Amino acid sequence: MLYFLGIFQTIGVHTLLGLSAYVLLLTGQLSLGQVGFFAIGAYVSGILTVLFSWHIFAALAVGALVAGFFAFLIGFPALRVKGLMLVVATIAFSEIVRLFFFNLSWRVEVNGFDVGPDSTQGFREIRYFAANGWEQTHVVALIWSFVILVMFLLWWLDRVRAGAVLRAVGEDDLAAQSSGVNLTMVKVAAMTAGGVIAGIGGGLFAHSTTYVDHHTFTILLATFAVSYPILGGHKNVFGTLLAVIFIQGFVIEGLRFMGDYRNIVFGLLIIFAMNLRPQGLVDGHFISDIKKKLGGKPKKDSADA
Amino acid sequence: MNIDHIDVIQALIDGILYGSTYALLGLGFTLIFGAMHKLNIAYAASSIAGAYVGLASISVMAIPPILVFFIGPLSAGAIGLVIYFACFRYMPTGNQLAPLMASIGALFFVDEIIIHETSGSPLSFPALLPDSYFFLGQFGIRGDLVMVMFFSFVLMGIVMFLLYRTKLGLATRATSQQSVAALLCGIPTHRTNATTFVLAGILGGFAGCLIAAAVGVLSPLITLPLTIKGLIVTVIGGLGSIRGAIIAGFLIGSFENIFLLVRGVNERDIYVFLLLFVFLVFRPNGLFGTAIDRD
Repeated sequence: MLYFLGIFQTIGVHTLLGLSAYVLLLTGQLSLGQVGFFAIGAYVSGILTVLFSWHIFAALAVGALVAGFFAFLIGFPALRVKGLMLVVATIAFSEIVRLFFFNLSWRVEVNGFDVGPDSTQGFREIRYFAANGWEQTHVVALIWSFVILVMFLLWWLDRVRAGAVLRAVGEDDLAAQSSGVNLTMVKVAAMTAGGVIAGIGGGLFAHSTTYVDHHTFTILLATFAVSYPILGGHKNVFGTLLAVIFIQGFVIEGLRFMGDYRNIVFGLLIIFAMNLRPQGLVDGHFISDIKKKLGGKPKKDSADA
Repeated sequence: MNIDHIDVIQALIDGILYGSTYALLGLGFTLIFGAMHKLNIAYAASSIAGAYVGLASISVMAIPPILVFFIGPLSAGAIGLVIYFACFRYMPTGNQLAPLMASIGALFFVDEIIIHETSGSPLSFPALLPDSYFFLGQFGIRGDLVMVMFFSFVLMGIVMFLLYRTKLGLATRATSQQSVAALLCGIPTHRTNATTFVLAGILGGFAGCLIAAAVGVLSPLITLPLTIKGLIVTVIGGLGSIRGAIIAGFLIGSFENIFLLVRGVNERDIYVFLLLFVFLVFRPNGLFGTAIDRD
């Protein structure tokens, strides 16, 4: 049972990570920087609960805000360029963050123990849940309530004007700009929202694993983050969740007997998926096919872009 | 530690010599970008993989170690061709993100195979010129790095010659400028793109071998930093600009070595990556990029 709870935790955290990349993908931007915001959220909220004995919710909120603030800052220079250059810029950003935490050493004595980030040794003492009598089911419930909240907000976003604006920028930013959309504002807003979501995910990750170090936050995790919405397709938030369940539940956990061949499989999977369905596995046709099978009327405007 | 001007100049010399390998990698990235307007993230990984194949073949077949500098580049060229077909050939032309994502998949595929085959441990690589350290006035100069720089210049010369003096180069440049018009003029654009990938792969294989020879070991750990630095060289030089990539390679090499001297090896890369943001803010098109190159 504990094993399955652990998988639920991982899937929940990775869904938040995937959704943070999904928001950016709506505006047509591919970012490998989500892992940087995730790392900021993890370290900041961990430092707040461990070194300053804050409450978990306050720490998560501040972690998310700090991550969002950095996303906001990164947004401006990175968005002067778009598309491919943004990918390069965000890779560089997440490596800067990783190297910063690789070098960060901040040891403080709390209740007779030395705690805090210890550069290469990692940040080992994030035991808020254990120290405050949370059971693992409570932790899973906390993570999933955040997942459901974020998924609901993004689902709702698709039904209001702001969502239409985001997608308009994603489909054709020139056309969106000529109909009066402020591109910089929309893109920086999406970047900030992505940063906040990744920051919450990072905070939950740090507290549920009790230990983080710089090895966790590599480009591999950043690739996982963008591969969820890309494999799941950016037409629908549920695609991201399905992709996380498929990759974490099947490729990583289900194929555990294959040992380190799994990472090779992950690489091949991305190559195959992109060749077979460049628009993502759950694209517009797929959704309308399902709707047809369920007897509902397919939406006319859901054709592939 | 006291740093005087001698140390700084020494660091600059080493950095510029070593930077020639970054220039080669940046040149390869920029060739591929110039041809297809798409980024091949797996490029540095395939270059290192080529060096690995070269190393494996000299240790299995007991041939002279110098042959690693022939087998390595050739196999990197072959890997480049495979990556072209796996990640670029059958993708929709207008879609930039799908091939990019596929090449990230290829990066992990290549990297994980290397880690799997070598158990992740570094292997020693034959040196180009062992024991060739000499002094030029007060400054020590590594002879093998001079050889690295020499070979880099020879390769850059060959690439320039191929691009600007041969029919193949004409076809490549035509495809790069307007692939539809090039196709209408009877240029087989797919074959031209494949040739560019092979050419860039060979270049990268040489860069991989030269880097491994200069460092002395080959390790899967160097692929990601090389990928990022190669990309940064490409962006700082201006996407698609060949002389920009070469100059930016030397710039990154010397910048990196100065910060290695001042801040140590753990923090060095932070400043190199921050340099990218400085360029994105003040010169988003890079040193020599034109406005058209901007996406």
